[in-house]
Amino acid sequence: MTAQTDKQRDARAMATEFAQKYGILLALVLVCVILTFANEYFLTGRNIINVLRQTAINGILAIGMTFVILTRGIDLSVGSVVALAGVVSASLATTSTTAGIAGAPYPALLALFAGLIVGVAAGWVNGIIVSRYRVPAFVATLGMLSAARGLTLLYAGGKPVPALTDGYRYIGTGDILGVPMPVVIFAAVFFVALWVLSQSRFGRQVYAAGGNPHAARVSGINVNRVKLMVYVISGGLAGLAGMILAARTGSALTQAGIAYELDAIAAVVIGGTSLSGGVGKVTGTLIGALLIAVVNNGLDLMGVESYYQQVIKGGLIVAAVMLDQARHKQG
Amino acid sequence: MIKALKTMTAATAILAGTAAFAADTPKIGAAVYGLNAEFMQIWAAALENHPAVKEGKVEVTVFDGRYDALVQQEQFETMITQGYDAIIFVPIDIEAGATAVQLAADAGIPVFGSNTRVNSDLLTAYVGSDDVQSGYMEAKYVLDQIGCTGNVVIIEGPIGQSAQIQRLEGNQKALAECPDVKVVEQQTANWSRAEAQTLMENWLTAHPGEIAGIIGQNDEMALGAIEAVKAAGLNVSDFAIAGIDGVTDALLAVKAGDMASILQDGAAQAQGALDLAIKAVQPDYEPMSPIWEAYPDMPWNGGADAEYSVPWTPVTLDNVDALLELRQ
Repeated sequence: MTAQTDKQRDARAMATEFAQKYGILLALVLVCVILTFANEYFLTGRNIINVLRQTAINGILAIGMTFVILTRGIDLSVGSVVALAGVVSASLATTSTTAGIAGAPYPALLALFAGLIVGVAAGWVNGIIVSRYRVPAFVATLGMLSAARGLTLLYAGGKPVPALTDGYRYIGTGDILGVPMPVVIFAAVFFVALWVLSQSRFGRQVYAAGGNPHAARVSGINVNRVKLMVYVISGGLAGLAGMILAARTGSALTQAGIAYELDAIAAVVIGGTSLSGGVGKVTGTLIGALLIAVVNNGLDLMGVESYYQQVIKGGLIVAAVMLDQARHKQG
Repeated sequence: MIKALKTMTAATAILAGTAAFAADTPKIGAAVYGLNAEFMQIWAAALENHPAVKEGKVEVTVFDGRYDALVQQEQFETMITQGYDAIIFVPIDIEAGATAVQLAADAGIPVFGSNTRVNSDLLTAYVGSDDVQSGYMEAKYVLDQIGCTGNVVIIEGPIGQSAQIQRLEGNQKALAECPDVKVVEQQTANWSRAEAQTLMENWLTAHPGEIAGIIGQNDEMALGAIEAVKAAGLNVSDFAIAGIDGVTDALLAVKAGDMASILQDGAAQAQGALDLAIKAVQPDYEPMSPIWEAYPDMPWNGGADAEYSVPWTPVTLDNVDALLELRQ
């Protein structure tokens, strides 16, 4: 009799643990199954490609955000950096005589490099302010959110930078064997991030610096350097995302990327990375970003008003954090 | 920077004590909802290029409302304190703007609406374009292209904004004339190109080969739809696509044969409102803007009308080059 109850308790504990560990993945699979039955077009090759393409930009931002959040930080500036990198690189790749800088269009690779540099520079400034001057990340990156948007408007004179060259647009509209370039880039970023966080020394330092910064410092990790690096990564990826966005829409808009930081943070949090640092995986972030995109896509396919999408996303975020809290209580 | 310098020189000139100069030159403030997008920049540039401003007959300051009704109200308070002679108002919100107009009216300063309506009967006059008309024109174009039969989608502005409400009313007026046309999807993309692109990608999946016409309530969203069509490997020429506003990218798309657009003449809305504002301060003033000659359908009528409707101009292959020239 006692053995029986013990066995039951074990089974229940295992089920709980399973739900907590794979809850988000299960939610994603469940939503996909429901949508497959609800709409005949959901599980088609073209739609899957669409979902992945619609995940790519937020996914890239969210991967950068994962690094930052793992160190107990936050990067609120990514949406503005998207716009800044977009207009700067686009101004090198436009055929428009008025919107471009002298001598444009330059080769696409040069323009892309410039955008990446802009993103890295913005991230570096964030990182220095956070790590060296001890300004809370929330405040430092809030400042960058405003400053980078202002710089975007100043640089572009508030106007869009149109008429981008085909070479530049390739990263947004091209494909490799039918897989759209944004997805290819997203996949590359994901696998590199996966390797860095799980295999490299730097990855272990990120977890250590976030989990227990004091212990990390004592054990000889340069926590300031790690913090600087995660903002540089987040900024660089925001620059990359901004250029993909410009290439997709065909022109770099000064209003691009507004509120993108919120979706990126949502993907990270839904994916199970703890805001208190040290715990989380990019695979979780990938699933979180996919879940957001699948829900949006499914509701669009079924003709549901977009306002519901926002309500559902809000519910997902809170549910994910509640799950995270429950896990902490158990551990 | 240049603007700041200008303001500083103006301030110094007044401080220098030429009292006559300060009294004779009317000070007119323009409170606009925000300067982040191309349309309002064209509007503001037209204001500063008005002949009366260039000749120094009037001093104009543009206030950036930063998309916030409260900021705009505070700017009204500033203008009232500084003794502006007249105010040109482009409100962010049709309702919230009424309080600001009330403040100016209480201070005895005439307010002229431009581009966007405000729910107040205290405006001295309003210069704008009828959004119902543009909504009708763009939908009519799409319906004519598809021969008044088949399926269309409507990509709307932010639900509840006056332009969205009125353009939809115009869309529906045209649709009522084609009972065989079915609206298979209708949803907001918040004036955003990126949002419209995602929406259209998903709609093309949900209705493969069924959508013939795309009605975008502004150019940005129509441009997003075009990118979605291209991304799906479909032919843009198989769709009838229209937008409103005549932003530069849309002019380029019209030139490429991808869409139709209807130009909203923000420059005329700005200059017309300024002529009226100067007239209110100097009763013997004659309008100096070239727009009154350009639009015979909008007579000056001694500056006494309460409402001036700037006509819409369909962008065609015939006039697109000339319009692009103006943007240089």
